[in-house]
Amino acid sequence: MKKFQLGEFEEVVMLTVGLLYNEAYGVAIKNEIELRLERKVSVGALQTALHRLEKKGLLKSWESEGNQERAGRPKRFFNITALGKQALEHAKTTRESLWKAIPQVVWEIKTSH
Amino acid sequence: MKENTELPPGLFLRIFRAFCDPFIVDSIEGDLIEIYRISRLKRGKRLANFLFFLDVALLFRPGIIRPLGFSIELNHTDMYRNYFKIGFRNILKYKTFSFINIFGLALAMSVSMLILMMLADQNRYDQFHEKKDRIYRILSDYEGSKSPYATSPQPLAETLKEYPAIETTTQLIPGVGVDATHEEKTKEIRGYFTEPSFFSVFSFELESGNRATALSAPYSAVITREVADFLFGDQDPLGKRLEFEDRKLPFPLGGDAPGTPAVSWGDFMVTGVIDPSKYASHLSFDVLVSGSTISSLITSGKMEDRREDWKWYFQTYTFAMLHEGKTAEELTAALDDIVMRKEAEIKSEYTSGFKLLPQALADVALGLSSNDTNNRLPLIGYYFLAALALVIMASACLNYTNLSIARALTRAKEIGIRKVTGALRKNLVVQFLSESVLTALLSLVIAFVLLLLLIPAFKGLWVNQYLNFELPFMPALYLGFVLLAILVGVLAGIYPALFLSGYQPIKALKSLAEIKSGKLGLRKALGISQFVVSLFFITTSILIYNQFKHYLTFDYGFQSESIVNIPLQGMDYQKLSTEYERIPGVSTISACDIIPATGTNNNNEIKVLGSTEEYEAVGVLNIDRNFPENLGIVLLAGNGFGTNDQTASTQILVNEAMVKELGYPSAEAIVGEQFETKWGDQLLVVAGVVKDFRYKLLLNEDAISPMMLRYNPAQFQYINVKIASPDPMKTLAALEGRWKALDPVHPFRYEFMDDELESTHQGIFDVVSILGFISFLAIFIACLGLLGMTTYAAERRTKEVGIRKFLGAGSFSITLLLSKGFLQMLAISILIGAPFSFFVNKLWLENLPNRVEFGVGTVVLGSSVLLLLGIVTISSQTLRVSKAKVVDTLKMD
Repeated sequence: MKKFQLGEFEEVVMLTVGLLYNEAYGVAIKNEIELRLERKVSVGALQTALHRLEKKGLLKSWESEGNQERAGRPKRFFNITALGKQALEHAKTTRESLWKAIPQVVWEIKTSH
Repeated sequence: MKENTELPPGLFLRIFRAFCDPFIVDSIEGDLIEIYRISRLKRGKRLANFLFFLDVALLFRPGIIRPLGFSIELNHTDMYRNYFKIGFRNILKYKTFSFINIFGLALAMSVSMLILMMLADQNRYDQFHEKKDRIYRILSDYEGSKSPYATSPQPLAETLKEYPAIETTTQLIPGVGVDATHEEKTKEIRGYFTEPSFFSVFSFELESGNRATALSAPYSAVITREVADFLFGDQDPLGKRLEFEDRKLPFPLGGDAPGTPAVSWGDFMVTGVIDPSKYASHLSFDVLVSGSTISSLITSGKMEDRREDWKWYFQTYTFAMLHEGKTAEELTAALDDIVMRKEAEIKSEYTSGFKLLPQALADVALGLSSNDTNNRLPLIGYYFLAALALVIMASACLNYTNLSIARALTRAKEIGIRKVTGALRKNLVVQFLSESVLTALLSLVIAFVLLLLLIPAFKGLWVNQYLNFELPFMPALYLGFVLLAILVGVLAGIYPALFLSGYQPIKALKSLAEIKSGKLGLRKALGISQFVVSLFFITTSILIYNQFKHYLTFDYGFQSESIVNIPLQGMDYQKLSTEYERIPGVSTISACDIIPATGTNNNNEIKVLGSTEEYEAVGVLNIDRNFPENLGIVLLAGNGFGTNDQTASTQILVNEAMVKELGYPSAEAIVGEQFETKWGDQLLVVAGVVKDFRYKLLLNEDAISPMMLRYNPAQFQYINVKIASPDPMKTLAALEGRWKALDPVHPFRYEFMDDELESTHQGIFDVVSILGFISFLAIFIACLGLLGMTTYAAERRTKEVGIRKFLGAGSFSITLLLSKGFLQMLAISILIGAPFSFFVNKLWLENLPNRVEFGVGTVVLGSSVLLLLGIVTISSQTLRVSKAKVVDTLKMD
């Protein structure tokens, strides 16, 4: 299932694009991640991830017209494709199966450091 | 909100746009602007700017950067291929014009290539030193000097070490000019006293011996491979003894001047062998002697003590090596500080405004200074050659420009079609430029062949025996050549490209008549300027050649024919002359200390005994009693030197100029007069007056200045042997045989005096050769251009000529008709060029001593040459057309 393989940051971006639904463009995605995950995201890292995901076919994008706020530059909105959804599902199920496979005893051992 | 219309710093935005993939640039830029505006509101302008910069910097990563290559734009290779194809076809189609362009550019380029080679040749020197970037030579300069001295005061090296920026210093003190003897073998060797730090500054390796200690102990000598092979043969020289006898052989410059009688310096131990022939360096030597030897030589009175002399900056070469990371400014500051600290010690009459300057080792190659370590072409020489090359290059480029514009019509249709099918002006510019670059690259091939012919000619110049240009080919040179060709191509092609690409397609296609083929006036002006320059070169070459011949046939006031000058090289002159007198074929023998009029002069300052006037500087020549007679110098008054040596040594002969200078009414009046010299010698009595003869170089002195002849055998350096025999070579062989019997050590050297005098002017002949060659190129290229223009004009008017002939015009009137414009051009060139050449040449000639007569004749000669060549060029084409059969010309289309 190599084509569904997602990196951690890619997964976060995909999920954020999903939750923003139709409002997912660069700045919005950046703000959302920074708000929810309390981590700094650079424009460079985000854009690289977005375009890589688009190239893989997990995201699709379209440009809107420019507005005053952005000195006439267009916004590029992103949306999850069907393949993207499958990839997310795949990520989720593999995680869950891993979670389930951890024996209960692991949680009960007190680790001391 | 005012702030919300702010844009981020334009520079960063532009950088971003430059590297970003154009497909996504707009939206990301939008994001950036939005983020910037928010952060600016929150954090203020400075921080926002900084964050923006960070964002842009972080965007510089794969995925964002535009893909390499032209994948986004159209693929252009096909178009370029087409440009070159059309270019080639055009070159092949118009063979005459292509030949003119390619050959003209090639001629000009070969000269520039030669200069590039000269620069490359010089810059390969001293590249092998590992720390070359940190090594500086210290120059001395004073107010009103022509160029700084390469030498500096001897105590400088030690003092400079005190400064923190300097890692170490080393000094090279010339003064080793000795006969080195090992067992039976003796060799003249020259070199420097230097210190162990020599090897920490410079990267010369020792073939044998220890670099750290070789120059430490007194009486240590590092000799070169060549010297070692000569003196020791197969033996290992290390640790062996060499006896040094000081001959004061001139070094590093001074050429073949003979040394003085030998003074023993004692035994030296060979502590190292070095092979300087492996290194290209401005330093050359046969031997390096440990500097610690100097003090003991001084104690025994064999050397002058300059160790603490801040005034004497004419001998020692000082090199400083900076610590890593230190700059030349710090060295300059240190040197300025020294000059200030030592002000009192430096002060003297020839050190006003004294300065010490650093010269980076890399600048030594082109930065020739006074007292330098070897002969090199001074920077001004490069400028001179570069200026000549530039003029020739401009001339050849003008030809290209001129012909391209003249033939614009042949390209008009093509330009029209290209424009109609969508070519932009810039595409056409690129097309025409690629064509001219193609032409230039083809020229490069021919230029290279020419260069191969030019190199031996240049190396064969008389002056090169001093400059030692080897002109090796180096890989970097080829790159330089190609870059030169491209540059030339662009320069030659830029104007036609802009001009031709400016045609309006509709005019270019519809009616050729409306197309202007470039302003005729402009083209003529260009042609005229070429001929003016050519005329100037021709006239100047003829003039300098005349000057050269004038010097050769100059009346020196003495006879130099069949006199052989033999340097004594320390031998006793009396002994040698007694030997030589017995040789059949030798007529008279005399001796002197310097050969007059060959560039060396000595001076003394004298005045009439008891006179209150200033001392007068006069030339001094030390001679024996035979000298005047031997050289045919006439004694006008007095009896000459007395027969008693004691008396003779206090007598002088003076020249007529001295008599006049001191205001005596006649030659007889000065005889018996007593003079005192400034340097406290004994009194000198005038024993006679000789007719004026040339004592200084013709180039240096116009009127003969006062001089005196002294009888002083101790100073003799040369013996002058007059040969009167039907077979001078046989006599010479006999002279050599006797020499070898008397002095087996030093090789017999001789020179015919008239050759010697002639060679003092060989430098001028080099200038004639160079200028002559350049004038040849200038006139050749100008004629090529003229040929191109006449050919084109004649071709365009072929039909007209046919009709005229059909209607009864004669060949002559048609030739005249076609040639008229060009003849006018030639006439104007001469009208402008002749007076120009005359006055400019007059200007510099005024300052030349013993100048040749420069009249209108030279200019007329130059103009006639130009006119003749021009007319031949023009008529070669016009005659062809005017003689063509009417049927052929009318049928042609």
